[in-house]
Amino acid sequence: MATITCERITKRYGGVVAVDALDLTIRHGEFMVLLGPSGCGKTTTLNMIAGLEEISEGRLLFDDKDVTWQPPHKREVAMVFQSYALYPNKTVRENIAFPLQLRRTPREEITRAVTEVAEQLEIGHLLDRRPSQLSGGQRQRVALGRAIVRKPSVFLMDEPLSNLDATLRLSMRSLIKHLHHRLRATFVYVTHDQAEAMTLADRIAVMKGGLVQQLDTPEGIYARPANTFVAAFLGSPQINLVQGEIAPDGSFARGAFRLALPPGAAQPGRAVTLGLRPEDVGTLAPGLARLEARVDLVSPLGSETHLEVVAGDDVKLTLRVPKEWRAQEGQVIAVGVDPARLHLFDATTDARL
Amino acid sequence: MSGALERRPGPRRRPALGYDERNAAILVFPVVAVLLVVAAYPILYSFWVSLHDIVLTRPLRRPFVGFDNYLRIFDDERFWLAVSRTTVYTVVTVAVTTLLAVLVALLLNEAFPGQRILSALLLVPWATPSVVNGLMWKWIYDPTYGLLNALLVQLGLLERYRAWLGDPDLTLLLIANAAVWKQMPLAALLLIVTMKAIPDDLYRAAKVDGANVFQRFIHVTLPALRPGLMLVLVYETMISIRHFDLFLIMTQGGPGDASFTLSWLIYVETFRSLRFGTGAAMSYVLAMATFLLSWALIRWLGKRI
Repeated sequence: MATITCERITKRYGGVVAVDALDLTIRHGEFMVLLGPSGCGKTTTLNMIAGLEEISEGRLLFDDKDVTWQPPHKREVAMVFQSYALYPNKTVRENIAFPLQLRRTPREEITRAVTEVAEQLEIGHLLDRRPSQLSGGQRQRVALGRAIVRKPSVFLMDEPLSNLDATLRLSMRSLIKHLHHRLRATFVYVTHDQAEAMTLADRIAVMKGGLVQQLDTPEGIYARPANTFVAAFLGSPQINLVQGEIAPDGSFARGAFRLALPPGAAQPGRAVTLGLRPEDVGTLAPGLARLEARVDLVSPLGSETHLEVVAGDDVKLTLRVPKEWRAQEGQVIAVGVDPARLHLFDATTDARL
Repeated sequence: MSGALERRPGPRRRPALGYDERNAAILVFPVVAVLLVVAAYPILYSFWVSLHDIVLTRPLRRPFVGFDNYLRIFDDERFWLAVSRTTVYTVVTVAVTTLLAVLVALLLNEAFPGQRILSALLLVPWATPSVVNGLMWKWIYDPTYGLLNALLVQLGLLERYRAWLGDPDLTLLLIANAAVWKQMPLAALLLIVTMKAIPDDLYRAAKVDGANVFQRFIHVTLPALRPGLMLVLVYETMISIRHFDLFLIMTQGGPGDASFTLSWLIYVETFRSLRFGTGAAMSYVLAMATFLLSWALIRWLGKRI
């Protein structure tokens, strides 16, 4: 196991800053997910940790050892790629054995390790096949096998499930989680898929523009997003963000739309962005704020229903309601909102208030 | 109509060619016709010639001799000498061309300042006509004003000018050098194209797995290069085994018989001795040898891809 410490690491490509003075500590045995949209710097960060990209500035420590200038193979890391990166000319057995062969491991030990890994990943029957004869899921298992066979202290995964279909992705996700529990190694996992991040991570670092926007547990990030970007990036359907201001009575106001806020949430007159998660609505009850809206579109999903509604003059909201609610398009509905579950952001800085 | 025999429609016969196939045949026909005239006819005619004793010094008598011309070739000492010269020349040319092409492709596959200009310059020798290439190297090797002599003498590596192409031990190698200079760029280009298709992730995975530069070349680059290498080896073998123009321009088979290759033998037999029958038979033998060698190479390398 290893603690990874990024001390203000920066990556520049010419004048473009891909990662900007990143400070991040990944603890022993932690499952850290770097989450963000394309171009946010998450893969570059992973590559710098792997040693595949030079660090322009800053220091990278594994435990207390400075590995900033160490080549990848000296860092004791293993990496799994989105494209699987299996050697096409080698069989599954040779692919898994390759890192051990390079380390001049005795042949009997290689055979034992490969068999053990193949059993763990249920690919024992595929050992003599070549990658071209495998399905996507099988290839990714082989890639995982090649990574775990040499028992590294750090696993780096670059969107490993992105090329798989939805069903396979779910089963591979569980497999990776089980692997983490069993190996107790440090995992750094890059993805743009919020569901993967939420289900796998001990902690998530949400990135944008080469900067970490928020570093917290999945629950923390979902419940207390640091800014509108983080709020919008996590959650499906997306959080409703409405720009407006604080009315003299302390409620949120945008035109005719009003919503009660917890007392003293913000100074009256201040321009703010209101965040309302689609699922944070329910039947009206004492203590809940009243939200009246006209139903524009009903999308039943079987287990729940999504309503697109218009509140006030022009405030479009998406609400996630129980499937039993029989709303009609054009109907005016009133729902209850717990003011404590509303999010307020500064309209200028987008930071959480 | 009781009792009348009704003709039942039988199962409809599928036309020999479908709509698309018919259109394709119409479009392909002109090319096939041209090929039949300019390729198939000369091939068949030369085969006919190879079965006759045709000597232009007595053009009216051209008796049919069956495979006698072929049998005569194998009894001819000059033929076996030419086979050995051609073998040496082909092996050297193909080996050096392929090796240099791999090195140049590896170099030009890397990003460095001037890489694009160098890639463009690489094509200059390939674009140079064979005759110009032959003359250029003949001048470079020239015993009185050649660049090679001047360079080596000025560097102190040679005491006095020498007739490079007059040295029987060196002639074939020097002609092979001229051939490599012209043929290597295309081979390198073919390999660069193959190299560009190797996913970067494979190299990155190999780096993380602990492979050094040499191991990455052996385990990632070389296996991926096999289709390109096969193309290069087959193409270069086919070209080199039949090379003629450089020999005509640079040495005319000499000095003595030092560069007496199969193509040169065929030329001498056909156009100097005017024995078209044996000349055509030799051409057939050379063509078959080229074909068999290419087939063997494709089978051998194809299994490893």
